[in-house]
Amino acid sequence: MEHARHVFRVALVLGAVVAAVMVTRGFLVPKSYGMYGPYRYDNVVEQMNVRLPLHRGAAACGECHDDQAKKRAAGGHKNVSCEICHGPLGLHVKEDGSVEAPPVDRSYLLCARCHRKIDGRPARFPQVVLEQHVSGPLEGHACLGCHDPHSPKP
Amino acid sequence: MTPEISGFSFPNDVHVWWSLMIVMYPYITGFVAGAFIVTSLYHLFGRTEFKPVARLAMATSFAFLLVASLPLQLHLGHPERGINVMITPHFTSAMAGFGILYSGYLAILVLEVWFVWRHEIILRARRTRGVKRAFYATLALGTYDTGPRALEVDHRAITLLAGIGLPGACMLHGYVGFIFGAIKANPWWSTPLMPVIFLMSAAVSGIALLMVLYQVVSKLRARAPDQPCVSALARWLWFFLILTITLELLEIIVMAYERSESWLIISELLTTRLQFSYVTMQMIVGGLIPLILLAVVVLMNRYLHERVRNTLSTVAAFLCLLQVFSMRWNIVVGGQLMSKSLRGLRSHYDPEVFGREGILMAITLFAAPFVILWVFDRVLGIEEPEAAAAAAPPARGEATEEGSIHAA
Amino acid sequence: MAPTSTTSLPVLQPEPATPTPPEYGRRQFLADVMRLSGGALVFIAGGTVADALAAVAEKPRGEAYSWDEHLYAYLIDTSKCIGCGSCVRACAAENKVPDGFYRTWIERYVIGMEQTHVDSPNGGKDGFGPVQVGFTATKSFFVPKMCNHCRATPCVQVCPVGASYRTKDGVVMVDAERCIGCAYCVQACPFGSRFISPVTHTAEKCTWCYHRVTKGLKPACVEVCPTGTRQFGDLKREDDPVRLAIARDRVEVLQGHLLTEPQCYYLHLDKEVR
Repeated sequence: MEHARHVFRVALVLGAVVAAVMVTRGFLVPKSYGMYGPYRYDNVVEQMNVRLPLHRGAAACGECHDDQAKKRAAGGHKNVSCEICHGPLGLHVKEDGSVEAPPVDRSYLLCARCHRKIDGRPARFPQVVLEQHVSGPLEGHACLGCHDPHSPKP
Repeated sequence: MTPEISGFSFPNDVHVWWSLMIVMYPYITGFVAGAFIVTSLYHLFGRTEFKPVARLAMATSFAFLLVASLPLQLHLGHPERGINVMITPHFTSAMAGFGILYSGYLAILVLEVWFVWRHEIILRARRTRGVKRAFYATLALGTYDTGPRALEVDHRAITLLAGIGLPGACMLHGYVGFIFGAIKANPWWSTPLMPVIFLMSAAVSGIALLMVLYQVVSKLRARAPDQPCVSALARWLWFFLILTITLELLEIIVMAYERSESWLIISELLTTRLQFSYVTMQMIVGGLIPLILLAVVVLMNRYLHERVRNTLSTVAAFLCLLQVFSMRWNIVVGGQLMSKSLRGLRSHYDPEVFGREGILMAITLFAAPFVILWVFDRVLGIEEPEAAAAAAPPARGEATEEGSIHAA
Repeated sequence: MAPTSTTSLPVLQPEPATPTPPEYGRRQFLADVMRLSGGALVFIAGGTVADALAAVAEKPRGEAYSWDEHLYAYLIDTSKCIGCGSCVRACAAENKVPDGFYRTWIERYVIGMEQTHVDSPNGGKDGFGPVQVGFTATKSFFVPKMCNHCRATPCVQVCPVGASYRTKDGVVMVDAERCIGCAYCVQACPFGSRFISPVTHTAEKCTWCYHRVTKGLKPACVEVCPTGTRQFGDLKREDDPVRLAIARDRVEVLQGHLLTEPQCYYLHLDKEVR
C-alpha cells in the first residue's frame, strides 16, 4: 500500500475541492429557492408588484369623465374601452398624481383599424369599403364629420 | 438587423439566439470526446498502433476541455450568472447536467493526465531547482515514488480512469446532441438519432484533428510520421465517417419517406438557406470526397508511397474537420432559420465579426487549445521521453524550438 | 388535434391533490438517486430549503392574495376577432414590451381551397391592412396568440437554473434575477411565445399580467378587447364563464399533439392554424 501513497494524496485533494464547491454552493442558493418547487418563491411576490397596473378600465375613466362615460355606455361603442383609443389611464394620470393629456387621434386611420373592410374580419362586424364609403380623397377627419366616436350610429 | 422572412414566421421566431458560439461549443467538445476515443483505443483497447499519438491525444482532449465551457458562457445573456447552473441546477433540464458532467469529466481527465505524466513531473522536479522545482514538487503532491510498484499502481489507475473516462467523454458529447435532440418544438432537431450523430461526428473530428496535428508535430520535430499509426488513424477515420454520413442521411431520408409534416419546410431549408453549408460542404466536400480519399488510403494501403499516404490522409482529415463544422452549423443555425410555424424561413444568419459572439472570438476559441497544447508541451512534455530520446539526435538542428525540452 | 380524452379536460379539482408541477416528481426522483449515491449535495440542498422555509415563515406571504384559491385559464374565440390589434398595443404598454418583440400577437389567415396565406405585420400591433393574395380566398380570420401557460410546459422543463416556473395558480413566469439568458426555453417553446429581451438580456414572456390578475383585474389584453374574443377565467370558480366554456364547448388547443397541455383554449380554430 505504501506505493499507492500518491493515490491517497490525489484523492484527498479531489475530496477537498469537492467539499469546497459544496460548501460554497450552499451559501449561494437564494433563500426562498425550493420552497414550492425548483424556483425562487420571492419572485412570485416580485412579479405581483412589478408595477402598478396601467390600464384601469372604463369605470375608472368615468370617475372624472362622467358625461363621456355615460354616453359611451349607452351607445354602439359600449364594449370599446376608453383606453383603446386614448391609451392607458396610467399614462394619463401618473402615479404622482400629475395629469398628462391623453392622445386624441382624430384620423380616419384609427377608425379604419376596426371598421375598414379587409380579409379576416367576421362578416357580421360593421365594416366599410373605405374607397366606396367616402367620395373624394381619404384623409384627415373623414369619419368624425358624420360619426360621433363616443356614440356612433351606422 | 431585421431579417428577411419568406413565408410566415411567428413574430418572435425570427432571431438566431444560439449564435456562432453554440456552433463552436459542440465543435470543441467534439474534439474532447474524439481525441479521448483515440487515447482510449491505446490505453483501454490495446491498439498499440496508436502509441505514437496516445499522449498527444490525451493532451489535446485536455486542452480542448479547458476551453469547452467558454463558448457556452459567452453566448449567455448574463455570462456572470452562468455559475447558477451549478448553484441551483434544475435537473429536468438537459442543460442542467452540463455543470456536473463537465466538472466530473474534467476531474477524470485531470486525474488521468496526472497519472500519465506523474513520472515526467517527478523527473522534472528532481532536475530543476528554485521556483520551478517548487512548482513540479507541488504538481507531484510531494511524493517522489517512481519505483516499479508505484508505476504499476499508476498504470492500473490510468486503465481505470480511461475506463470511466471513455463513457464520460461519450456522455459529455452525446449529451450535447441530446440538448438538441430532445427539443420537441423543433422538428429539425427532435430526433433520437441526434446524440448518436453528434457522437459519431465527434469521433470523426477528434481523429481528423489528431491526424492533422500528428503530421504538423512530426514536421515541427523533423521526423517522419509513423506509417502504421497514420494508416490506423485513416482506417478509424474512414469507419467513423461512414457511420456519420450514413446516420446523417438516414435522418433526412426517414423524414422524407415518412412525409412528416415538417419535411416540406425542412427540404426547403436544406436546398435554399443551407444549400452551401449542407449540400456542398457537409455532404460533398466534407463527406463524399474524404470518403473516397480515405477509401483509397485504406483499400490501397499496401501500394501507397509514404508521402502519398500522408498527403491523402491529411487532406481527407482536413475536409472532415470542415464537414463536422458544417454539420454543427447546419444543426444549430439551420434549426433557427426555420420558424416553428413550419411556414416560414428567415434569411441567412451572418455572425458579427467583433463582439462577444463574433467570428474573431470563435477563431480565438479554436486557437486557444493549441496555445494550451504548446504550454503543456513546455511544462510537461507531450512526447514520451524515450521516444523523443530515440528520435531526437539526428534531427537536433530543426527541432530546437519545439523539441529541445526533451533533450535532457 | 382536439383534446378528446377525458384526461385533457380541465375538470376542476376541488383541492388539487398534487399542486406541484409535474417536473417536481422527477426532481424528487433525482434527489433520491443522489441521496442513494451518498451525495453530499443533497444534504446541503436540504439545509438551504429548510433555511428558506424558516426565512419565509417570518414574513407575510404576498398580501391578501392567496394563490391556492385560483387556477387561471384563457379562452380565445377566433370567430369574434376583428384584428384591431388593441390587445397587442395594450400589452406592449402595460408590460413595457421592447419594440419588435411580442408577448401577444395576432395572425391573419387567408385561406383558399389550395393555398393559405398567413401574415402578422408587426405582430398586428398597428392593425391590419388589405392584403393581395394570388389565389381565390374562401375564408379568412384572425387568430390571437400568446403564451399558452402550458401545464406540462417544455420551457420550464428545460430551464437549467430554475428561473422558469409555473405558479400554483397556473401562470408560467421567468425570474429575471436568476435567468442566465441561455435561450433554451425560447428554443423549447413550440409556440414562439418567448424571446430574449434586448433590455434585460433575460427570457421574457406573457405573465397573464400577474401584477394585475393578483389584484383582481383582468390582463391588459382582455381588458381592452372590444369584441370579447379574449376571456380570462378562473377554473376554481364554479360559475366562471371560461370554466363553463371549456367544460361544455368544443374547445381546441394549439399543437395538441405535442402534449404540452396548453391553458389557452380556442373556439373555432381552423386546421391551418399551428
